[in-house]
Amino acid sequence: MMLYLLGGMATVLTLLGFLVPARVSRMLSLATLVAGIAYLARTWGEPASLFGGLYRVDSLAQGFTLVALLGVLWFLLAARSDKFEFPLFGLYAALGMHVMASSNNLVVMLLGLEVFSLPLYLLATWRRDEAGFEAGLKYFLLGALSSAVFIYGIALHFGATGSFEAGTQGQGILFASGLLLVMAALAFKVAMVPFHWWAPDVYQGSPTSVSLLMATAVKAAAFAALLRVLAQENMDVWGLALMLLVALTVLIGNLGALAQNEAKRLLAYSSIAHAGYTALALFSPTGAPAVGFYLLTYLLGTGLAFAVLQQISERDVPYAALRGLIYRKPLLGVALGLALFSLAGLPPLVGFWGKYLVFLEAAKAGQYGLVVLALLTSAVAAYYYLKLFSLVVMQKPAGAPGQDLAATSLDEARLPRLSTSSSARFAIVVATILLVILGLVPGWAFRVFIAG
Amino acid sequence: MIHLALFLPLVAGVVLMLAPGLGRALALVASGATFVLSLALLVRYPGEGLAYNFQTPLLEPAGVYYAVGLDGASLFLWLAVSLVVLLAVWLCRVPGRFLALALMMETGLLGIFAATDLVLFYVFFEATLIPSLVMLGLFGGKERMKALYTFALFTLAGSLPMLASVLAVRYLGGSPSFLLSDLLAHPLEGSAVGLVFLGFALAFTVKTPLFPLHAWLPSFHAENHSSGLADAMGTLYKVGVFAFFRWAMPLLPQGFAELQGLLLLLAAFTALYGAWVAFAAKDWKRLLAYGGVSHMGLAALGLFSGTQEGMVGALFLLAASMVYTSGLFLFAGMVGERTGGLELNRVGGLAKSAPALSVLGLFLVMAMVGLPGLSGFPGEFLALLGAYKASPWLTLLGFSAVIAAAAYALTAYQSVFHQHETRAARDLEAREQVFAASMVASMLLLGLYPRLFTELLEPAAKQLVLLLGGGS
Repeated sequence: MMLYLLGGMATVLTLLGFLVPARVSRMLSLATLVAGIAYLARTWGEPASLFGGLYRVDSLAQGFTLVALLGVLWFLLAARSDKFEFPLFGLYAALGMHVMASSNNLVVMLLGLEVFSLPLYLLATWRRDEAGFEAGLKYFLLGALSSAVFIYGIALHFGATGSFEAGTQGQGILFASGLLLVMAALAFKVAMVPFHWWAPDVYQGSPTSVSLLMATAVKAAAFAALLRVLAQENMDVWGLALMLLVALTVLIGNLGALAQNEAKRLLAYSSIAHAGYTALALFSPTGAPAVGFYLLTYLLGTGLAFAVLQQISERDVPYAALRGLIYRKPLLGVALGLALFSLAGLPPLVGFWGKYLVFLEAAKAGQYGLVVLALLTSAVAAYYYLKLFSLVVMQKPAGAPGQDLAATSLDEARLPRLSTSSSARFAIVVATILLVILGLVPGWAFRVFIAG
Repeated sequence: MIHLALFLPLVAGVVLMLAPGLGRALALVASGATFVLSLALLVRYPGEGLAYNFQTPLLEPAGVYYAVGLDGASLFLWLAVSLVVLLAVWLCRVPGRFLALALMMETGLLGIFAATDLVLFYVFFEATLIPSLVMLGLFGGKERMKALYTFALFTLAGSLPMLASVLAVRYLGGSPSFLLSDLLAHPLEGSAVGLVFLGFALAFTVKTPLFPLHAWLPSFHAENHSSGLADAMGTLYKVGVFAFFRWAMPLLPQGFAELQGLLLLLAAFTALYGAWVAFAAKDWKRLLAYGGVSHMGLAALGLFSGTQEGMVGALFLLAASMVYTSGLFLFAGMVGERTGGLELNRVGGLAKSAPALSVLGLFLVMAMVGLPGLSGFPGEFLALLGAYKASPWLTLLGFSAVIAAAAYALTAYQSVFHQHETRAARDLEAREQVFAASMVASMLLLGLYPRLFTELLEPAAKQLVLLLGGGS
């Protein structure tokens, strides 16, 4: 069982970490995740249940666990640290995310949420400088608050329905406030406006590889929970509130991104906006595969962007550092360029299909107003992605010889080379290829989420 | 065969991107093969309806197919696009990656004409933007970034609302998929039709282009590389007329009816406005950019008349102007290369030292002016004839644009090639002579024997007239 695999290995590695070198510990963490993904692939579509149904692996759990595990795997491949705790925290986070995605019980969800949040609070402070402490503290305090809100919501929910099961039907003011509080707590984790204030500071202050993890895998787990909590039968309770959240998120996320001049903050705002797009599919009863697919495409795009930034610096990445990247390191330039186009939702990259599917689900559910708003804000988004793209591809790196851009070959610019670790390079190459291939044949990936 | 023709340029483009050293040879082989394939497809075309149909699911549960097929109109445009790309690749001495981007764009353009699934069409329509942007950004002039943002924002602000219309057309109509045939079988009715049509109209108007959504075009051309290759590709990207014809009008005849008056007015005004501004242009690129806008206004006028003649004329004019406007941009590139700038008042009397160049210029300018016997005439004539049936007064406006074309194009030509000789220029080299000969031959063929191609366009136009309610 996945639960035992992740939980057992995390515990064993905690103890083993003191005895073996950090390198070995990292390899073992990686192997555990790969084994987890392989196990997931082998048991794809087979439901499983434990503890009297408290832990339940269904197709939803499998799809979202896959996205979360891929996110954590990427974090491990990209991460550079000589401490054994660094990858280990990733493993604990993976365990928590899996638990959160694999239960219909609100209390178990909370348990999962805490299990993956605690390691993330620690990872956020990893840089041990002022920005890092600010990030960690902010994330921890607000995260603790959101957990408290979650618990209060569960209590009210239990009071109104007598059940801890997510998606129980109910009515009345007590039920409505319970459900909305739970929704607010989850919206905090996926960074939807107005619960997004922490995101830019935390993403900027954390090591870049940790921002990658926060922006991708965490959202997968939280959206799995949102899908279970926001049952269609209770649409009249949460429908209006979610509409408001989505509208605010796509507006403020995209407009906020316009004003940035540091790449990690930009990606933070862009990830806020993407949470809004993803949430569009929550309105439809058949939305789960679209959400899963969107998160996968978003994982490829945002993950790739963060992975490239991480190769440049674990700290801040001002725009100037990206100028002419493609001439300094063609692989990173091409990867970031494609990732940005994918995030902007331009075909034929995979990001387009993700957007297309969530818009399709929203249209099916009759939310044309939101679809039009989301599309209009996508045009705004295209502008800031394009701005970054043109920096990377169409401008000379500072201090490069020659004037005529057209005449410069990719290897000509004589600049200090950027060093990249081989495992990070491997992840970047694979993700770039997937970004293009899945853009051409999106059916392959989408089938994964419906077959389950 | 259709898939080979469609994706060969893309594959060649990607290879060339990775190995720019292969340069012109590879680009020539790929674009030449594509042209031959398009020609072969045209020869084997049965004469009516969609041929070479192929479909396979792309995103099964969401009803998206990779579905392509060609009818007379799209074959004609395929031929025009592949010819222009071949000639441009033949003519231009530019870096390998530049050619690679042009080839990638060719696949996108061919795909726009071949797609018979609405989402696939959208994919091609949007995807073509990427190489076009990169081309401008990498090889453009000083102010290229501004031009790039303007171009991208106009395009995206138009095409993103279109995506909403794409979804609406299917779900409000209840069609099981996005295939053209399915969508036609489930027509949309009710109050939303006008809005849905507007979504399409925005995107296609940007790409026609019609006033006031043409504003991206002048800076786009002014800032692009001086060789004219990117301008030629940009000219080919003006697919709005075709997109209206293939998608917006057949799918939403009722929506078209609601907006017809406005669209006709815009088209006529665009024709006149483009000509007016072109008259004041100080350099070749602006002149050609606005001249192109004016001609597309005429084409749109014919198309929106809803008559068979008008539509045939519009499509004919679209294809013909793709060839001669691209030819003019490349020609301007040749002039610029010799004289060191694109300003119109920079030189005079080039005809003395470069007679062959001036003859090529004369043919191209005359085609643009719409001289009978060259490729500009049949399209303009038919478009105006059709428009006259729908609205005589607006046609008068359009007609004055044709007269104005003679004024601005001939004035420019005269000042550069005749008048007092200010400097000598070298005449055409062998490479350029081949280009000139093929260009002139294509213009003569279209001009002297238009029936060959109008026959291709007629069945599709007839069908659309029926859909629109028997013409007006």
